[in-house]
Amino acid sequence: MSAKREVIPLPVRAPDTASGSGPPASMVVRGGDFLFVSGLTAADLQSGERMLGTTANETRQILINLKQLLDAAGSSLDKVVKVNVLLRSMLEEPNMNEVYARFFPDQPPARTVCGARLPDGVKVIVECTALA
Amino acid sequence: MTEKLQRSVIEPENPLLNASRNSNLPHVPGIRIGDYIFLSGMVPVDPQTGERSHGPIAEQVRVTLSNMRHMLESAGSSLERVVRVHVVLADISHMAEMDRVYREFFPVDPPARTAWSMQLRFGNGCEIECVALAG
Amino acid sequence: MREIIAAPLAGLDLRKHYGHHQSPAVRAGGLIFCSGMLPVDPHTGERRHGTLTSEAHVVLGNLKLLLESAGSSLERLVQVHALIYDSIEYDVLNRVYRQYVANGPPARTVWTVQIEAGFKIQLDVVAAA
Repeated sequence: MSAKREVIPLPVRAPDTASGSGPPASMVVRGGDFLFVSGLTAADLQSGERMLGTTANETRQILINLKQLLDAAGSSLDKVVKVNVLLRSMLEEPNMNEVYARFFPDQPPARTVCGARLPDGVKVIVECTALA
Repeated sequence: MTEKLQRSVIEPENPLLNASRNSNLPHVPGIRIGDYIFLSGMVPVDPQTGERSHGPIAEQVRVTLSNMRHMLESAGSSLERVVRVHVVLADISHMAEMDRVYREFFPVDPPARTAWSMQLRFGNGCEIECVALAG
Repeated sequence: MREIIAAPLAGLDLRKHYGHHQSPAVRAGGLIFCSGMLPVDPHTGERRHGTLTSEAHVVLGNLKLLLESAGSSLERLVQVHALIYDSIEYDVLNRVYRQYVANGPPARTVWTVQIEAGFKIQLDVVAAA
C-alpha cells in the first residue's frame, strides 16, 4: 500500500522569486507520516510581501509563519523532528539561535545550521520536517 | 516494539547515470527505506554518454531533472511522488532560469523546495537532491 | 510520536556546552534525524579542530556512538549531507568517510558551506531506527 502524498492547501502566498512569480513549490507537503515544509524566508504569509530585516527579525517572522502553517496543517511546532537553518553568515548564528529558542522551549527538534549564499537578499532560510 | 525497516539500494536502469558506481564513490544513487526514497544529489550528466553536461544553466537543470525522473522511475516511483527538493546553484543569479525549467518538471502540486547557492565541484552549475515517496 | 534521543555522552550535548538549541537526535516514523554532528570531544564537548581528516574521524566516531545508543548504527544510515568548508577537500573527505560506510553506504550530497567555529566538516544525517 503506497504512502499518501498530499499538498496541504493553505490560504498563503510565498514571496515572488527572481522569475517574477511565486516559486514552483508547495509550502507544506504531506508524505506518509511526515510534513515536508519548504525553506521559508521572512515574509507576510497573506500577501507574500518580503519582510527583510536583521537576522533576528527575519528568524522571528519565519517561525511565526511556521507555527501558523503547521497549526493549519494539523501539526504543531512540537511535532517538528528536524530543522535546517541556512544563514547568510555564520556570525549571525547566536542572533538566530536566541530567537529560535523561544519557539521551541522544550525538547527542541534536531537541527543543522550552516552558512551559504542565499537568494533574494534574505539573511536566513528555515526548512523543516514535522510529524503530520 | 515495531519491526526495523529494511533499507535497499536504488540504482538507475541507465548505468551511465550511476555516478556512485562509475566513479567508485562512497555513496549510492539512492536508498529506499519504508515509505521513502532518499536520492543522492544529482548533477548534469549526459544520459547518452555519461559525461558531464555543461552549457547554459537551463540545459543543466533540464538534464539533471530528466535524470532524476529516470532515477525515480527506475525505483518504481516518479516525479509526482517527490515530497522535498533541494536545488543548489553555483551562481545565485541563475535562480530565475532554474525556476523556469523546474516548473516544467513539477507543473502541478510541486514538492516542498529549498533553493540556495554554494560552491559546486567540477564546474557543475546545479546539484539537485530529493526525497520521494516509494511507488 | 516523536522521541528525543539524548546525548549518550556528556560531550555530545551541544545545547549544554554551546547553547545550540537542539536535541542530539529525534526518532519518528522509523527514522532517526540527527542534528548536524560536529568535531567535538564526545566526553568533554571541547572543540577538536584539526585537518579535515582528523575532524572527520571525530564526527564519524561521534555519530557511531549516537546512533548505536539509539539502537541504530552507521550501517543504517539512509541519507547524509556532508558539509565541508571547501570542495577542494572532496577526495580527502571520501578517503575517511569510506572507512565508516564500507558496508553499503547511504545516499549522500556534499554541501560546501560555512560551518560554525571554523570547523572543516559537519555531517547532517538521517538513519533508519
